[in-house]
Amino acid sequence: MERAVPPAVPLGQMEVFQALQRLHMTIFSQSVSPCGKFLAAGNNYGQIAIFSLSAALSSEAKEESKKPIVTFQAHDGPVYSMVSTDRHLLSAGDGEVKAWLWAEILKKGCKELWRRQPPYRTSLEVPEINALLLVPKENSLILAGGDCQLHTMDLETGTFTRALRGHTDYIHCLALRERSPEVLSGGEDGAVRLWDLRTAREVQTIEVYKHEECSRPHNGRWIGCLATDSDWMVCGGGPALTLWHLRSSTPTTVFPMRAPQKHVTFYQDLILSAGQGRCVNQWQLSGELKAQVPGSSPGLLSLSLNQQPAAPECKVLTAAGNSCRVDVFTNLGYRAFSLSF
Amino acid sequence: MSSESSKKRKPKVIRSDGAPAEGKRNRSDTEQEGKYYSEEAEVDLRDPGRDYELYKYTCQELQRLMAEIQDLKSRGGKDAAIEIEDRRIQSCVHFMTLKKLNRLAHIRLKKGRDQTHEAKQKVDAYHLQLQNLLYEVMHLQKEITKCLEFKSKHEEIDLVSLEEFYKEAPPDISKAEVTMGDPHQQTLARLDWELEQRKRLAEKYRECLSNKEKILKEIEVKKEYLSSLQPRLNSIMQASLPVQEYLFMPFDQAHKQYETARHLPPPLYVLFVQATAYGQACDKTLSVAIEGSVDEAKALFKPPEDSQDDESDSDAEEEQTTKRRRPTLGVQLDDKRKEMLKRHPLSVMLDLKCKDDSVLHLTFYYLMNLNIMTVKAKVTTATELITPISAGDLLSPDSVLSCLYPGDHGKKTPNPANQYQFDKVGILTLRDYVLDLGHPYLWVQKLGGLHFPKEQPQHTVVADHSLSASHMETTMKLLKTRVQSRLALHKQFASLEHGIVPVTSDCQYLFPAKVVSRLVKWVAIAHEDYMELHFTKDIVEAGLAGDTNLYYMALVERGTAKLQAAVVLNPGYSSIPPIFQLCLNWKGEKTNSNDDNIRAMESEVNVCYKELCGPRPSHQLLTNQLQRLCVLLDVYLETESHDDSVEGPKEFPQEKMCLRLFRGPSRMKPFKYNHPQGFFSHR
Repeated sequence: MERAVPPAVPLGQMEVFQALQRLHMTIFSQSVSPCGKFLAAGNNYGQIAIFSLSAALSSEAKEESKKPIVTFQAHDGPVYSMVSTDRHLLSAGDGEVKAWLWAEILKKGCKELWRRQPPYRTSLEVPEINALLLVPKENSLILAGGDCQLHTMDLETGTFTRALRGHTDYIHCLALRERSPEVLSGGEDGAVRLWDLRTAREVQTIEVYKHEECSRPHNGRWIGCLATDSDWMVCGGGPALTLWHLRSSTPTTVFPMRAPQKHVTFYQDLILSAGQGRCVNQWQLSGELKAQVPGSSPGLLSLSLNQQPAAPECKVLTAAGNSCRVDVFTNLGYRAFSLSF
Repeated sequence: MSSESSKKRKPKVIRSDGAPAEGKRNRSDTEQEGKYYSEEAEVDLRDPGRDYELYKYTCQELQRLMAEIQDLKSRGGKDAAIEIEDRRIQSCVHFMTLKKLNRLAHIRLKKGRDQTHEAKQKVDAYHLQLQNLLYEVMHLQKEITKCLEFKSKHEEIDLVSLEEFYKEAPPDISKAEVTMGDPHQQTLARLDWELEQRKRLAEKYRECLSNKEKILKEIEVKKEYLSSLQPRLNSIMQASLPVQEYLFMPFDQAHKQYETARHLPPPLYVLFVQATAYGQACDKTLSVAIEGSVDEAKALFKPPEDSQDDESDSDAEEEQTTKRRRPTLGVQLDDKRKEMLKRHPLSVMLDLKCKDDSVLHLTFYYLMNLNIMTVKAKVTTATELITPISAGDLLSPDSVLSCLYPGDHGKKTPNPANQYQFDKVGILTLRDYVLDLGHPYLWVQKLGGLHFPKEQPQHTVVADHSLSASHMETTMKLLKTRVQSRLALHKQFASLEHGIVPVTSDCQYLFPAKVVSRLVKWVAIAHEDYMELHFTKDIVEAGLAGDTNLYYMALVERGTAKLQAAVVLNPGYSSIPPIFQLCLNWKGEKTNSNDDNIRAMESEVNVCYKELCGPRPSHQLLTNQLQRLCVLLDVYLETESHDDSVEGPKEFPQEKMCLRLFRGPSRMKPFKYNHPQGFFSHR
């Protein structure tokens, strides 16, 4: 197989270092701006890059439109998780959550609006924050990560109201069940736990690895991704990707995906998942694989659907993972192009 | 009538009858010529008017008589004959009158004509006179104007102005009283003064000339003296040579070198000057020498007259050669190529001594027709080096100086104009000839002051000292670091080939005390082989695997786990780090495309290399990276989560102290080693 060799560019020390950094970059998290025109991506070096989706999707987009408008060092450690409120971008990684104003973020030298650290028990190592969840009704933020607890923080006052304990190993992901305000959390210990926010107690526990249909011991028992549709929940990770009926805590459909999935979400009547392996997988609720669309990264860690009503022309699916690139899918059937750090 | 006729007859016969006035003249005439009847004189006497009347009357009479005769003849009669005869006699008389009158008219006419003629002649004479006079007048006028225009030579002489004249001239010349009034005298006086002055100046000039002669003679004498001094100085210098050597001040040697340096071509000369200057000023370990044949260099500049003499000979030779078989086209082309790639007979040699007594010998050549400089390098060490197999290319003369500056691989000629020259003789690239001619690196051109702007052919040889000077120091430092890092690698490779990763004591803190994984293999691989490996695609696509790099394969083993590491060593080591790509064979094949932890291990070694540099000059980078790789493999294997479904103990029990085994969404293993606490954590 003839491989196209790019011409050797004379590389000084700086260029080699930057090339190596880009090769070893992982994008962990993405978030869309409230106006829908910008996409923020956070990577393992602690940098956040803001891309202009409207510029990259417009008809006269050039190569420079696929580069970030601004890149800044947000955290000392990797940026594992980001969410957007209607005015702020909240990013979390190495034990802290920081807030940035979307209006200010495009200017160079942007400083964080505030930063908060939840009260941790251990002091030897600062635990990471793997997941952020907004609860709009209460105007609060839920953080979960390395210290195995869920912390709730009131966005107005900035105080940490509750700490929900129950997981025995660190928490990977969170999901919100709107109807009865419940939070689902999945962790390394292999369990999905449901918490009632009002009573601050664990309501239900599903130990996924104990169910034979979905457990895959050679991958481990960890739950990497969660999504919920009030009555239904889909989760995956070490065990296979499975659709659960929450009330009865039974697995209804097991999706035949061998590679562990790192992100899953409901979209219209489909379930989109991505994980180890290049592709974004589209599943029917019945368990059939509708499509597998390859991306450009060897493994994907995060999917983001831009469904902001203010920018219907930027309605795209973006996928990022083990590379410095964010794939943009305008149509779920194929990858349109990639934004790059 | 009869009186008239008698008058006529009378003058015919009588000569002396006439007016007394003309009588004198007539008499003179007659005296001379005897007796003749002058009718001319008579003409003057008679009145032409009366003669005309007479003529008319005579004609009338004749007509009448004829008429009468006619009458009579017609009537006939006796008396008619007498009457006719009478009348006939009368008409005869009239005829005679008419004849006379005719004669007189003729004479008058003649006279008139003569008179006119005379008058005309007179007028003509006057006319001629007038013309002569006019001509003379014109001539005189011309002469006058000429005279008026005449410029005497004296007016061309620039005389001093009047004031000066009166000021300077001595009174016996200027004679003011006379000259003031009389411009003629004034001019004369001025001319006199001019003459006087010129005589004086001429005198001065002669004096000066003689002075000059004297001085020239003196100069000659002194020159002789000086030239006689030269051989004596030479002998003194010869005598002082041993003293110089004793005192370590080799002035003579330097002098000889400068002599030879004069024959160097401009870029080599710039290099020589700059290198000597740098060596004397900054760096005592640099020594410069010139090698090659000075005579050949001198022969390059043969004067053109000789070649003209040769022309006739060469013409004769040409004719001869055409008769002989012409050399084949290939041989001709070959000769042309050789001619194009000809080197200048002189070359500059630089010796750089490094701290550990190893020496880098650089020989710089100048290719005359191509206008570029090339260099050949050789490294000699104080002690004999046993070259490990994998280190073959490290110190080879071909590649030791490759990419001293990024991208400067020395295989292409830096002068864009050479491409046109190459096309003429069929040379594709200089690459084929570099082994023989040396490498034309860009920094070599800069040291020789040759500046090639990109994309434009260079027309003139401009050897720029400032360009050379600014690059000299950086290049010398880079050369030294290059040689030393290569030698360090050389030693390290010897150890690596034996499976030992040589970690120096001052880098020991980077690693835990116990490292179980071992390096079992270290070999050099070819560039093509590296490109063929399936786990090196990313590096190749990022353009980091060019053909100027050196490639190696390392194998680390522990138990059943085998970790292959493909290493890209950039010639700019150690400022540019080696790049590792890993492939682990343990329970399946894991590379960075299917295992995030392998990716993290590569990141630990490639991206976080600055921690592994060790003390300057960071020659320990490669060995530290290899040691870290062993440590990483240990951590990876020991922290692998136990598969509950498989029976039996873990192959690698956990011995490393880790705070947490997994962290983050990608469940990273703790690869970061913390010193001095000795535990592993996540970045």
